[in-house]
Amino acid sequence: MSGNGAGRQQNISQLIAETIGMEMERDPGIVFLGEDIGYSGGTFGASRDLFRRFGEWRVRDTPISEMGFAGMAVGLAMSGWRPLVEIMFVDFIGVCLEPVYNAIAKNRYMSGGRVAMPVTIRAAGGCIGVAAQHSQTLWGMLAHLPGLKVVAPSNPHDYRGLLAASIESEDPVIVIEHKDAYLRKTTEFPLGTEIPSGRYTVPLGKANVVRRGGDLTLATLSTMVEKSLAAAEVLQTDGIGVEVIDLRSVVPLDDATVTDSVARTGRLLVVDEDYLSFGLSGELVARVVENLGPTVVKGVSRLANPDLPIPAALSLEREVIPNEDRILSAARTIVASG
Amino acid sequence: MMGDTAGLPPEHTQDAGPACRPERATGMSNAPTLLDRYRLMVTMRAFEEACAQGIPTGELRGELHLADGQEAVAAGMAGALRSDDWMVSTHRCHQHAIVKGVPLEEMMAEIYERVTGLSRGKGGHVHLFDMEHRFSVTGIVGSSLPVALGHAYACRLDNSDSIAIGITGDGGTNTGQFHETMNMAAIWRLPLVILVENNHYAISVPAEEVIAGRGIAERAEAYGAWGRRVDGTDVDEVAVAFAQAVGHARGGNGPALLEAVCFRFRGHYEGDIDHYRKTVVKRRMREEGDPLTIVRRRLLERGEVDETEIAEVESEARGRVRDILQKVRETPGPDAVEAFRDVFAEVPA
Repeated sequence: MSGNGAGRQQNISQLIAETIGMEMERDPGIVFLGEDIGYSGGTFGASRDLFRRFGEWRVRDTPISEMGFAGMAVGLAMSGWRPLVEIMFVDFIGVCLEPVYNAIAKNRYMSGGRVAMPVTIRAAGGCIGVAAQHSQTLWGMLAHLPGLKVVAPSNPHDYRGLLAASIESEDPVIVIEHKDAYLRKTTEFPLGTEIPSGRYTVPLGKANVVRRGGDLTLATLSTMVEKSLAAAEVLQTDGIGVEVIDLRSVVPLDDATVTDSVARTGRLLVVDEDYLSFGLSGELVARVVENLGPTVVKGVSRLANPDLPIPAALSLEREVIPNEDRILSAARTIVASG
Repeated sequence: MMGDTAGLPPEHTQDAGPACRPERATGMSNAPTLLDRYRLMVTMRAFEEACAQGIPTGELRGELHLADGQEAVAAGMAGALRSDDWMVSTHRCHQHAIVKGVPLEEMMAEIYERVTGLSRGKGGHVHLFDMEHRFSVTGIVGSSLPVALGHAYACRLDNSDSIAIGITGDGGTNTGQFHETMNMAAIWRLPLVILVENNHYAISVPAEEVIAGRGIAERAEAYGAWGRRVDGTDVDEVAVAFAQAVGHARGGNGPALLEAVCFRFRGHYEGDIDHYRKTVVKRRMREEGDPLTIVRRRLLERGEVDETEIAEVESEARGRVRDILQKVRETPGPDAVEAFRDVFAEVPA
């Protein structure tokens, strides 16, 4: 069933705004806070129309005070409300990491389970040529902090379903939306273009095997799913079957699905638009090797942003982030090496 | 919850009921007497001393911030403070919890990290959570205020006449959270009281060396808010000023900032060598600035009670805290499995 998207040439930011609206209709306890989310409808247009529909007390344009309004979310949650917070760029979360990792992430634990923190934080991440302070994804850093679920959708179906599941969750969830996706039409994506007309959720922590193949397991998420699928198509013509897994979330990390796949293919390539070291790629490789043992795993490889800030010049950005060519090269190398 | 009420009038510690209670909106209809406040202050002093007993025995480590000397600030809130108001406290939090009605035994058990504690020993002394009594703590200086702001925002969303009280120290007024909270509470006219316990030192750094402008209370002016400074060693003065602050916030006039100037008798934490304050100054503040001595003298001057009655109040309060400490010490710590619970509500199958 093609629902909301098909006839209207809806883009992802519209889809997100519509999803938030559906959730706010469903649950009158949801309060939305953030910079420019109200009257202007969001810097990326992902909250358009909500201010008019739900009013200033439930859709609150905040001052540039991330520490203040992230901390507000803690008090709202303890008062029984369900805060949805927009951090415009995930890079800005550094300004308010204290309430995020000390309170939102820890209050359930520190209260012995007596305090719920059903807080959802949406933030834009990823490289679109906007330099070092507006290009990070940071899901590895956020995943490192216990108590936070970390989600990064790759396609229209999941942008709606994962966001709805995050908002509905009793746990704090950070949803990192890719800036490259906002203005793209839902029909342009290579997968997930079928959007049910009614409300649905995509469970948090369940990876999606988006392409079957027997020679190599490629695990990734967010916009790198699309680039990986394109590379897999090319590799098929070389006779290399690539199984592409969309992880959908970093926490919970569905290493079981990846492990099952690597048990058949024997090889794992992780493609990650986040810094290489101490992050998702190393963690996933370690878990799969721990799960299967070194004799089953014939090869592992990681393709991620090198450990340096994202440069401003687009030509330089292209040198450092994973792309289809580099995925092809990494895949061919790992398959050729045994 | 257990029935410890810290000697407060019964009305004060009722469970939070319906949000709107117009008959209690003034807060002072059941105003505690000075003897009530004294009982509360003696309980607070005894409670802190009972916590300090865990240090030499090794039951507690040095990450323990006691508030001896600051009792008048907390006890001054009794009366105007309602059980359906929210309070978010700072690292020096026990006295605030006591005036908010948090049960003493569960709190002591949490501080001593026992299985019967508020969080079964997983929070500890700077992370007290008691939602039934609408009380929580954060151990990060300044961060209590945005949380209180969130409660105040929720009071507005609920169309309730409850308010939120965010507490910090003099050092906390130099954080960004303080200013962001003041600003947002003012622009949205939220029912928030920020109570600043100015005990003159941010750990070791004197307030006057690091706070620009004319003072902390005066910072309210920048936000068009109500601001006042009060002698935080005098419980009567605190009570009057706090009731005014609460009246301002509850009346829909936006935030109120109350600075209570007081003394912290002990170091910042247990184990602080406290070399940044002169011995003579420390002796003088105990001799001249002890809020318990001030109240005791006033009670006798007014002739409402005699020495015997005062001694009875003291003995009863101290005995109760002593019994609680003994009971807590006989209680086991949490099971090992407890360490692995409560990270998430939902774990994928």
